[in-house]
Amino acid sequence: MSGLIDYAPLWCHSNHSFLEGASHPSELIERAVELGLRHLALTDRDGVYGVVRAHVAARPTGLHLVLGSEITVEDGSTLLLLVRDASGWRQLCRLITRGRRRCPKGESRVGWTEIAEHAEGLIALWGGARSLLAGEPDPVFVTRLLREAFGDRLHALVARHRREEEVPAERRLRERAARAGLWTVAAHEVLYHTESRRDLQDVLTCIRHGRTLSTAGTRTAANRGHALLSPVRFSMLFADDPDSVRRSVEIAERCTFSLDELRYRYPVEDLPDGRTSAQHLHQLTFEGARERYPEGVPGDVRAQLEKELALIHELEYDGYFLTMHELVRFCRREGILCQGRGSAANSAVCYCLGITAVDPVRMGLLFERFLSRERAEPPDIDLDIQNDRREEVIQHVYARYGRDRAAMVANVIRYRSRSAVREVGKVLDLPEVEVDRLARLLSYDHPVTGELLRDAGFDPESPVHQHLLRLSVEIQDFPRHLSIHPGGFLLGHAPVHDLVPIENGSMEGRTVIQWDKNDVEDLGLFKVDLLGLGMLSAIDGCFRLLRRHRGMELTMATVPAHDEPTFERIRAADTIGVFQIESRAQMAMLPRLAPRQWYDLVIEVAIVRPGPISGGMVHPYLRRRNGEEPVTYPHSCLEPVLRKTLGVPLFQEQVMQLAMAAADYTPGEADQLRRDMAAWRLAGRLERHRDRLIQRMVAKGIERTFAERVFEQIRGFGEYGFPESHAASFALVAWVSAWLKCHHPATFLCALLDAQPMGFYSPATLIEDAQRHGVAVFPVDVCHSEWNCTLEPCPDSTEGFAVRMGLRWIKGLREGQADGIVHARARGNFVSVGDFARRTGLERAVLTRLAEAGAFGSLRGQRRQALWQAQALDREGGARLCLDEREARARLHELDWLESIEWDFRTSAHSVRGHPLAPLRAELSRRGWPDARTLNALPNGRRVAYVGQVINRQRPKTAGGVVFMTLEDETGFVNLVLWKQVYQRQARLARTLSLLGVRGRIQSESGVIHLVVEEVFDPALDRAPQRRGSRDFH
Amino acid sequence: MDRMACVDLPALPLQLLLRRRPEWRAHPAGVVEDDRAQAPLTWVNEAARRCHILPGMRRNAALSLARTLRVDTVDPQEIAAARAEILSALRFFTSGVEPSRAEPGVFWLDATGLSLLYPSLQHWAERIVEELRRRGLHAHVVVGTTRFGTYALARSGPGARCLRDETEEQDLARRVPLDRLALPPRVRDALLKLGVRRLGDFVDLPAAGIRRRFGEEAHRLHRLARGDLYAPLQPESEEEALAATETLDPAEREVDRLLAVVGRHLGTLRKVLRQRNRSLRRLHLYLRLENGSEREESLQPAEPTLDTAILLELLRLRLQGKPLDDAIEFLKIEIETARPSQTQSELFTALTDRDPAAAERALARLRALLGTGRIRCARLVDAHLPQARVRWEPFERLVEARPRSVHERPLVRRLLDRPVALPGHSRREPDGWMILGLEGGAVEEVVGPFVIEGGWWVREVRREIHYVRTASSGWLWVYYDRRRRRWFLQGAVE
Repeated sequence: MSGLIDYAPLWCHSNHSFLEGASHPSELIERAVELGLRHLALTDRDGVYGVVRAHVAARPTGLHLVLGSEITVEDGSTLLLLVRDASGWRQLCRLITRGRRRCPKGESRVGWTEIAEHAEGLIALWGGARSLLAGEPDPVFVTRLLREAFGDRLHALVARHRREEEVPAERRLRERAARAGLWTVAAHEVLYHTESRRDLQDVLTCIRHGRTLSTAGTRTAANRGHALLSPVRFSMLFADDPDSVRRSVEIAERCTFSLDELRYRYPVEDLPDGRTSAQHLHQLTFEGARERYPEGVPGDVRAQLEKELALIHELEYDGYFLTMHELVRFCRREGILCQGRGSAANSAVCYCLGITAVDPVRMGLLFERFLSRERAEPPDIDLDIQNDRREEVIQHVYARYGRDRAAMVANVIRYRSRSAVREVGKVLDLPEVEVDRLARLLSYDHPVTGELLRDAGFDPESPVHQHLLRLSVEIQDFPRHLSIHPGGFLLGHAPVHDLVPIENGSMEGRTVIQWDKNDVEDLGLFKVDLLGLGMLSAIDGCFRLLRRHRGMELTMATVPAHDEPTFERIRAADTIGVFQIESRAQMAMLPRLAPRQWYDLVIEVAIVRPGPISGGMVHPYLRRRNGEEPVTYPHSCLEPVLRKTLGVPLFQEQVMQLAMAAADYTPGEADQLRRDMAAWRLAGRLERHRDRLIQRMVAKGIERTFAERVFEQIRGFGEYGFPESHAASFALVAWVSAWLKCHHPATFLCALLDAQPMGFYSPATLIEDAQRHGVAVFPVDVCHSEWNCTLEPCPDSTEGFAVRMGLRWIKGLREGQADGIVHARARGNFVSVGDFARRTGLERAVLTRLAEAGAFGSLRGQRRQALWQAQALDREGGARLCLDEREARARLHELDWLESIEWDFRTSAHSVRGHPLAPLRAELSRRGWPDARTLNALPNGRRVAYVGQVINRQRPKTAGGVVFMTLEDETGFVNLVLWKQVYQRQARLARTLSLLGVRGRIQSESGVIHLVVEEVFDPALDRAPQRRGSRDFH
Repeated sequence: MDRMACVDLPALPLQLLLRRRPEWRAHPAGVVEDDRAQAPLTWVNEAARRCHILPGMRRNAALSLARTLRVDTVDPQEIAAARAEILSALRFFTSGVEPSRAEPGVFWLDATGLSLLYPSLQHWAERIVEELRRRGLHAHVVVGTTRFGTYALARSGPGARCLRDETEEQDLARRVPLDRLALPPRVRDALLKLGVRRLGDFVDLPAAGIRRRFGEEAHRLHRLARGDLYAPLQPESEEEALAATETLDPAEREVDRLLAVVGRHLGTLRKVLRQRNRSLRRLHLYLRLENGSEREESLQPAEPTLDTAILLELLRLRLQGKPLDDAIEFLKIEIETARPSQTQSELFTALTDRDPAAAERALARLRALLGTGRIRCARLVDAHLPQARVRWEPFERLVEARPRSVHERPLVRRLLDRPVALPGHSRREPDGWMILGLEGGAVEEVVGPFVIEGGWWVREVRREIHYVRTASSGWLWVYYDRRRRRWFLQGAVE
């Protein structure tokens, strides 16, 4: 506060008024504190999207945050509503929910009478350019309605932004306010925290209206008058009306509500026989325990269960566990594969309730990672559900709890580098082509720089390009619009719309709250995560196929727990398509780690992560595992903690246990350490543990140097550590998928293809890998294929079955059309393309697509002949025209091998006829470029040139700019390593070429082979295969 | 044996573009329909084709194939002018020239009998190529026997060629790549999918099958290629220029007599227009005066007409509004034409109190009296700066006024054409703020400031607008320009 001058900004939009406000809520808070303000109201438009962020930012500063919203009325005008107390918050959330639910996504409209009905606990400020009170017609009826509803809580808002039109509007407003007996209050609309953000606000306005800056006209603000003002500047703006200024503070002081007052209760499940939730949970848990341990529940398990149940009851989380149990039970009943993951796997209760599949007691997992008294935060149970049936579970939740008590958590879509450049470039009216070129050079979170501008052909010195650079950086991380979290549900005992507004999602049948996952966590609300997992769909499909074709009854639990042939395959990194351990980095680790038992897979899953890599844990662990270095412990107290990972901390829980064992942390303190590890980069919160950890370790007899090293390891672990429980859950799925691939490769491929898109590799790579394993794969054929892939008996194929590609792979063919084909075929085999056309009635575009895809192979061997026939059909539908088989035969050249493969890729994104490089092998060999198999057999250090198709590019954050690429040909993969300087020198070629030539040196170590690239080049073949998309991860 | 030749200026719009931008010749280049990223390419050069860029491809897609691709648009007027230029050049070599209606760079020439005038038809063809090259244009000329054969070979072959006979022509034509012919992209792509890459493959396809699959246009091309369609040369006659000149001796200053001369010429031109079923849209008059000066006038009637009386009336008004400085010794009349308007449609127009046609006639008279560019109307523009809120546009047509209803009468402001810089007096002088100088007196009342800040992305503007009242004036509209640090008078308020 500056002397006696004080005011409260009561009309502020953060950037959570999407594409309107130009400052983050935290920036507004920080600036308000800098300016010496005591109060600040956040009044985003038709929503409370930013209030949690503002609340969290304001809490440590002592600034009084007033909550509210600018509400859009059905006549297009607006009214500002501020929350006075808890009932006001409820009313505001209800009102916004009403407005949002009746409108398409992104819009909201409420009626004046609805506002009047929700007036309790709210203060209304009426004014500004968009209000009726300042408009030309006198809103007599509305004034009376609001006056009656709000009483002395209705104020006339005098808004000034140094605009000429405001003078007559203010005159009208004051006259009407005087007539209606309303007090006036001074305000200006804050859209950004400092004037420097005005340019960005203009850009956001243009994006919202789909305009360029030069054509936006008065859609953009006239001046920089929307910044947060100091008390002195604000009092100067209203020098003629100090009473209205003073009144702004009075109003803010009347608004005492804080989000800390939110009272949330988790829904109570239906309980039988008048039992309490705790009793019911206890019973279910021990029933489950008896199933898990048919030989009798061991004592340590029983003790752990009792301990967990006591804490769950104490924290009143019984209902949450009952809900998760009910969801899992629903999945089991409906035959939907599901499995809990994340820290829930640390809980014996979750294990006994069937939520998770890993026995935490037998594995020695740390329960406190999941739940702790000190933290007193809701547990976080993520439930993986087979992807193709997740919607059934979601709709079950809606049906069980109702739309009022269940809504999905939001996901705020924010600007990233590419979207930022594209949209800012458009607003600056830069040529779309040039902006597109720049955007393509950017990765997901790589900000645009002057160097990149130059690379893209821009002049970084030009003013307009400097604007592009500056604004693209400023807009990053700004909310763009609201989306739906992949599976997060907020459930409430009371209606959720009393807690937070609910609105429509873009997907039909979905409703979403206005807060995202972080907001929900910050407020300590319970979230249920129902996540889709493609591999569970694949495994489920595989089980079904095995039942149908082999009569085998398999479940996740009955897949053999140990199988040497499967481990052999895993050790040989023959894991394409296997869950988690199929990525290039994982495959490079497998021969070194050489898993021999299931727990090795747990380590494998966890070790190829940024935490262990950047923490320098990988090599010590591998050396100890291979007997190249002795297993030692810095102190005997750490041996139980680190024994299973040979003295090297690899898991998040181990860091917590290490702090507990070596520095006498309580479980809750250890959990706080974990959380601070996750946040240390931002706030330096980890530093406060440093002295405590080191001093306590030293006091315990651990050498200071080691203690310091341990702390450095913890720091290195940072936010990327992987919990053992999570790794264990994943390792189970990985094992099952590896076993299926090893013993039932055709079935596994069939199911895996039907579960696409998922995983690390394209369908083409999966098919080629299966073919290399002797699996016969038959092309799509209208006489044999169904919508999904199917198995056909084939003695020449591994497993005795070949995979028949499904009609779903033909681009542009809808499932209904495929069903039509299958139904028509069921009435009798097709005898010709004309017969097919008549009986299916498909339109010409579909028929030509089928012909091009080779789907008429059984009817008309030559694809071009089939295409010639399909082209003759009536445009709208083949059924109306009798295809004339007597038409003079056209002489057409048949496709050659490369053309056939290219047609396959163009029409169905894969080919069973070969790899695109196979037909070119002769030319490649003539030019001295070996195939992948030959290259991978070359000795270490050999220089070689190679040409292959890029199937993925990776640039991990932890790799210091090194780029990893995988090239493929008909014989296998070649893994490339591009050092930073090589990549920077030839980034354009490396990023854009699909068929890439490289020269470099072979690096072969422990069976892991890389080609360290010194130069990349364009092979410029006479006939190059068609461009094929690679899967890039940046 | 009748001989005909085909002249192909491959990708004429592209050639025109490269004639305009010669520095682009070394790169893949193309003509694009418009400036959008998704706009299709209409013409591409060989370098672009080598990068697999074909006409019909989207600009963005083409750029992904060749990052060095240069593209720009070519105006239809530019093409029309070039076509006229080429036509005129070709008429030097033969009187029978038929320009293609579909492709601007293709011409058929009648070569029959020319071997008697030139050493050989090969020599004749080479002369044509040379002449066009002199004009900065690249052409292929093929002398043969059929319309389609010569066309196909000209589209594919370099330089000038004279074929021996029809057999040789057919033989060579079969080898012409199909993508060199003007097939619709849809048909071209469909044929390529079928592996039909050369004209010979195309010709061998069954004719009925072509029509069924690809429509009449492709079928016609197929028949032409097979020689099934009779297509004789149809030379375009040289159109009589719609202009007239006369040297006046003695020189004439009297308006009525001058109008009589102009009327006589207009009468002649009107007959030509009638024959061509055209009307006069605009009249250009070039006058050379006895004192050596020149004068040009343009007149536009309210609508295209053949009524010379209207035109003479407009000319009279123009000459009355702007009298002649001296006697006229030479005049030239040129006319622009348009299709006659559909006056019947007026029968269905509802009658109103106001007569728009009369207003149009009045406006035409005003234009004639004051000059075409002088009649303008203000159009409101959505902008912050006062002077940017109005755009003056040529007044082409009268539209019905639809005023918006307002509750409060807005201020009436007089906006100066250009703001006037005011003397730099301080606002805190002892005698008051003399914004207009001493003669204006001190400012007695001020309203403002109202701030306008914008244009930061091009040239930043920061103005503080005030309304001030001085003792001697009414309300003035002034502003302080923050960047130039001085006061300006913008206008006045009533």
